[in-house]
Amino acid sequence: MRTGELAAFGPIEQPPPMSVGVIGWLRKNLFSSWFNGLVTLGVGVALYTVGRSLLAWAFSEANWKVVSSNLEILTWGRYPQDQVWRLGVSLAAILGLALATWLARRGQRRARRGLLVAWLLSPFWLAVLLRGLILPTPLTVFNHLGYYLFRPELLSALGVEWRGHVAVLLVGILGGLSWGVGSTRWRVAIGSANVAILALLAPYGVRGREIAPGILLPNLVPIGLLLGVAWVLGRSAFRRVANAIAIPRLLLPAWLLLLPTLIILLTNFDVGVERVAPAAVLPIVEPAIWSGILLTVVLAAVSILASFPIGVLLALGRRSSLPVVKGFCVLLIEVIRGVPLITILFMAQVMLPLFLPTELTLDRVLRAMAGMTLFTAAYLAEIVRGGLQAIRREQYEAARALGLSEALVTGLVILPQALRTVIPPIMGQFVSIFKDTTLVTIVGLLDLLAVAQSVIKQREFLGLVREVYLFAALFYFVVSFAMSRASRRIEGRQGIERTRNLAAE
Amino acid sequence: MTEPIIQCTDVHKWFDHFHALRGVDMEVEKGEVVVIFGPSGSGKSTFIRTLNRLEEHQQGTIIVDGIELTHDVRNIATIRSEIGMVFQSFNLFPHLTVLQNVTLAPIWVRKWPKDKADQVARELLERVGIPEQAEKHPAQLSGGQQQRVAIARALAMQPKIMLFDEPTSALDPEMINEVLLVMTGLARSGITMLVITHEMGFARAVADRMFFFDEGVVVESGSPSDIFDHPKEERTKLFLSQILSH
Repeated sequence: MRTGELAAFGPIEQPPPMSVGVIGWLRKNLFSSWFNGLVTLGVGVALYTVGRSLLAWAFSEANWKVVSSNLEILTWGRYPQDQVWRLGVSLAAILGLALATWLARRGQRRARRGLLVAWLLSPFWLAVLLRGLILPTPLTVFNHLGYYLFRPELLSALGVEWRGHVAVLLVGILGGLSWGVGSTRWRVAIGSANVAILALLAPYGVRGREIAPGILLPNLVPIGLLLGVAWVLGRSAFRRVANAIAIPRLLLPAWLLLLPTLIILLTNFDVGVERVAPAAVLPIVEPAIWSGILLTVVLAAVSILASFPIGVLLALGRRSSLPVVKGFCVLLIEVIRGVPLITILFMAQVMLPLFLPTELTLDRVLRAMAGMTLFTAAYLAEIVRGGLQAIRREQYEAARALGLSEALVTGLVILPQALRTVIPPIMGQFVSIFKDTTLVTIVGLLDLLAVAQSVIKQREFLGLVREVYLFAALFYFVVSFAMSRASRRIEGRQGIERTRNLAAE
Repeated sequence: MTEPIIQCTDVHKWFDHFHALRGVDMEVEKGEVVVIFGPSGSGKSTFIRTLNRLEEHQQGTIIVDGIELTHDVRNIATIRSEIGMVFQSFNLFPHLTVLQNVTLAPIWVRKWPKDKADQVARELLERVGIPEQAEKHPAQLSGGQQQRVAIARALAMQPKIMLFDEPTSALDPEMINEVLLVMTGLARSGITMLVITHEMGFARAVADRMFFFDEGVVVESGSPSDIFDHPKEERTKLFLSQILSH
């Protein structure tokens, strides 16, 4: 008889126990009705059949030597043997950092801040570890900057004299912009900085044009006139736009950048020093030869980490009240979402070079990363937009009424709430892009699956296809599963808060 | 005679084709407690929301504490940090604790160090009677407690003016008094207050002046005794008889 239910009539002070023992559980969950019982039996038989033959194959027939003897190739592919220690160091560094973060989760604020900086800088030190580093001297940096970023022919086309005019204009506009800001002390500093720069330029102006080979400056009178015009322009521009953007805060960096800019303008990077041979700290391992699990993980990690901020910005941009920003974001999101990832990967290979200066060549891995990042960012943007739409208008009003600026309203009140609600779909998107890294085979990159396919073709292991594919599948499953578990944990932490809140209501 | 802290002249506001405010004039002296009442849709809420620019007026002038409300972003930011606002539905930030709700604006707008902001916030929570709830999240509090946190949050910016937009109408009856008590204490402290409410007992006890809004205009204004005992306009009489009858 139905002992489980009879036993349920306990004293009323305690909630009645729902079931008794293993048998009670089985009865309640697996065999509660004839239909449920039938389903349980059917699934049980199917699982047994599949599991038995899989296990039988795995432990008797399968030759796992094909995986074990190729483990290195599958893991880091063509990464130079003598440099593999760098992968180990990278992994250890990340695990160490994760451990430290976990230990310091309730620790001092300073320690946590330090860890945050280490995490934020991790793309840089990881790039150095994985790709290698050639330490340039300051002069080579200067020459490279000019060469790669500014294209000497562009500046040359402008003509030395014009560059001088531009320099004076910059000084003047910056001076005019700065005048409206803050205290008298500011004004004195700005005024004297302007006069000093003018004084530096003046002798050249009086003396004439060519002051040194390649360095030429306009005459004093045009300098003065230009400076005046620029001041007026700068001041009126300031009045108009200063309220809208944080010009005062931008001014200090602008002044700091002014000197190098002037030098660049006036010299066109030609400092007249031969390039000094750079010092290699870690030999370069070009990403083009990264392969196997290394490539898969790097591709996934980069596109996940880089797409998140871009996606959030796109989502915010899509809701912007500025039509240009909004239009740009909508266009980007819709175009990318309207194109299959494979197409985007092809486009990234062939189109990206069109938008970049010819001197700057991205290798294929970076191009694939860029494509995958943009792709994920567009989808994240839509997910985050959904989260933003769930925030009630009153939250904006309450935040604005406190005097928070629009940026603070978004950053402190709206985004934190919006992102919390969309953790599950965001993690889903991350899992999806991790699995989609397999598509880079098509543009000639050797990710884990591609390496697996080449392993299969080895003569001594001919015909051992299942083992290799099963290994690859297991790897993808374990990582994806870990990611979705992690997502559950983050959700769970939010959930605890929520149930606690509900319980208190 | 001192200059009024709020000076509104001929304020108009349209929502699309709906003329919500049709020329509102109002002057409020420093330290005055003003109660605004009227039927729903009369524009009273829209009006006080124009004072801190949650709504933009399209005609007329609004001068708050000597600053005229224009499109100038700096002016709006300044005005908003001088005006505290309490909403009908509390609008606390659910992802922050009570203490963080109260310290958010002082830390980020006033740039106070965290310790100072925390201390001031705890004093304010003490003042509104819920010092023990500082570490909880808003959803763990009752409506009355949430509204008191909202008052503390607004006060944390040390505003010169407090706006209350029907602060008790979303509350269960037994919680209305605890909020009104805090507001009464606040009114006695000398801060300028504009309160939209239909709690007529509160109005009679605390208000210096009352304004009756209907169809986007001020129909009648005067001291509580003028309004309650000798209302001049028919519309005022009718409305008062309706809300006082129960």
